[in-house]
Amino acid sequence: MSDLRITEAFLYMDYLCFRALCCKGPPPARPEYDLVCIGLTGSGKSSLLSKLCSESPENVVSTTGFSIKAVPFQNAILNVKELGGADNIRKYWSRYYQGSQGVIFVLDSASSEDDLETARNELHSALQHPQLCTLPFLILANHQDKPAARSVQEIKKYFELEPLARGKRWILQPSSLDDMDALKDSFSQLISLLEEKDLEAMRM
Amino acid sequence: MFISLWEFFYGHFFRFWMKWVLRQMTGKCELQRIFDTYGGAQRTYRIENSLTYSKSKVLQSATQVAESELDRCVADIMKEKNICREKDNSFQVCMKTCLLQISGYKQLYQAVENVRKKPYDSGNAQHEKLLLKLWSLLMPTEKLKARISKQWVDIGFQGDDPKTDFRGMGILGLINLVYFSENYTSEAHQILSRSNHPKLGYSYAIVGINLTEMAYSLLKSEALKLYLYNFVPGMPTMEHFQQFYCYLVYEFDKFWVEEEPESIMYFNLYREKFHEKIKGLLMDYNTVLTLKT
Repeated sequence: MSDLRITEAFLYMDYLCFRALCCKGPPPARPEYDLVCIGLTGSGKSSLLSKLCSESPENVVSTTGFSIKAVPFQNAILNVKELGGADNIRKYWSRYYQGSQGVIFVLDSASSEDDLETARNELHSALQHPQLCTLPFLILANHQDKPAARSVQEIKKYFELEPLARGKRWILQPSSLDDMDALKDSFSQLISLLEEKDLEAMRM
Repeated sequence: MFISLWEFFYGHFFRFWMKWVLRQMTGKCELQRIFDTYGGAQRTYRIENSLTYSKSKVLQSATQVAESELDRCVADIMKEKNICREKDNSFQVCMKTCLLQISGYKQLYQAVENVRKKPYDSGNAQHEKLLLKLWSLLMPTEKLKARISKQWVDIGFQGDDPKTDFRGMGILGLINLVYFSENYTSEAHQILSRSNHPKLGYSYAIVGINLTEMAYSLLKSEALKLYLYNFVPGMPTMEHFQQFYCYLVYEFDKFWVEEEPESIMYFNLYREKFHEKIKGLLMDYNTVLTLKT
């Protein structure tokens, strides 16, 4: 523990001294956005968010109720409210949409036909919900590492995203726990959408 | 950063000179002084620190000694520290007990980890038998219509097939659930009968698995040391871990009912509150946590 922390501490102190010498103030705080993360049980929400926070997803258990995580990125902090995906919890989802600035929808690309249909219904409800319909959506076709995983093209077609989500801002990306770089890239795209929306709101 | 500097300074200079002075004054090494002054969990805990921070390889390796090597290890320590058996005849017994507890804790963690790492496997007959046993313990009057069935929701699983609920806790989650249901059957039935209540109810199996995660992470983060050092005068076993799990389930249920949460949606907040309460209790040197039904 000690050596790495000492080095990090010294580097940060050097950075602050440098800024002070060049007469710059403290670095600007990163903007924060409140997001809601939904998806069926087992889609991988908790595991993805844990890994993005540099925690091990090995000990993750099913989420009951909701759980809040602050996920740091280089240019923003996302306060994600993750809602459990079990049948008895999904009925409460809409109570927690208030105040969200964006939506992350995670689905298991390798799930059964029945489950995929349930996921499609949930996504459609969310896209049409009055509190979410104007927000940017990041849709993650997760579990791409599984052999039975459907491709992004198949998902896009099955979920009828083009006709249904026309006029809305959405990003559909493949994802898996093995490829964190691609995942971070997907989130960067979402952050850009969130920033755009912020600028629009400011102009109005 | 300053804490790291202090730790470095203390470990390399201050501690050595302080121990030297005390040895000259009392004629006894640190280990002997600890045996004289402390008892119970505090004694074992301090012995463990003394051995871990020691410069001697013999002492450092004593914390991981196997049971079969115990006598030889204690003899080595006595030789290293010039402890005379005739002058201090209780040292050997005390040291053996402490070493059993110290290395036993590490071995218990390894044993629990090995069980946790095994995912639930529908192809494994033993796993399936255990799952069906759980059903018959909790629903003795109702027959399970099929292995994949909506009935599993009645005992608190999320869907048709419980195997998707164990996740990070693997077969350890199921073993814990069966142990509690078997040894505290009436308590289990009470919790189950309440699970459909809009406020006081919660899913028995899922919450049980969450509590397995809590017990496991407390064991892993060494938070259970004082508890086990007080409770077990030798090597702790899986049975002791299971007992602690039962304590968590029983106390969490009491806690949930007392707190009167608005709904199951707030589970994680209350779980964290309960977790902090337990961590506080476990930090007490005299901690004794037993299930009082």
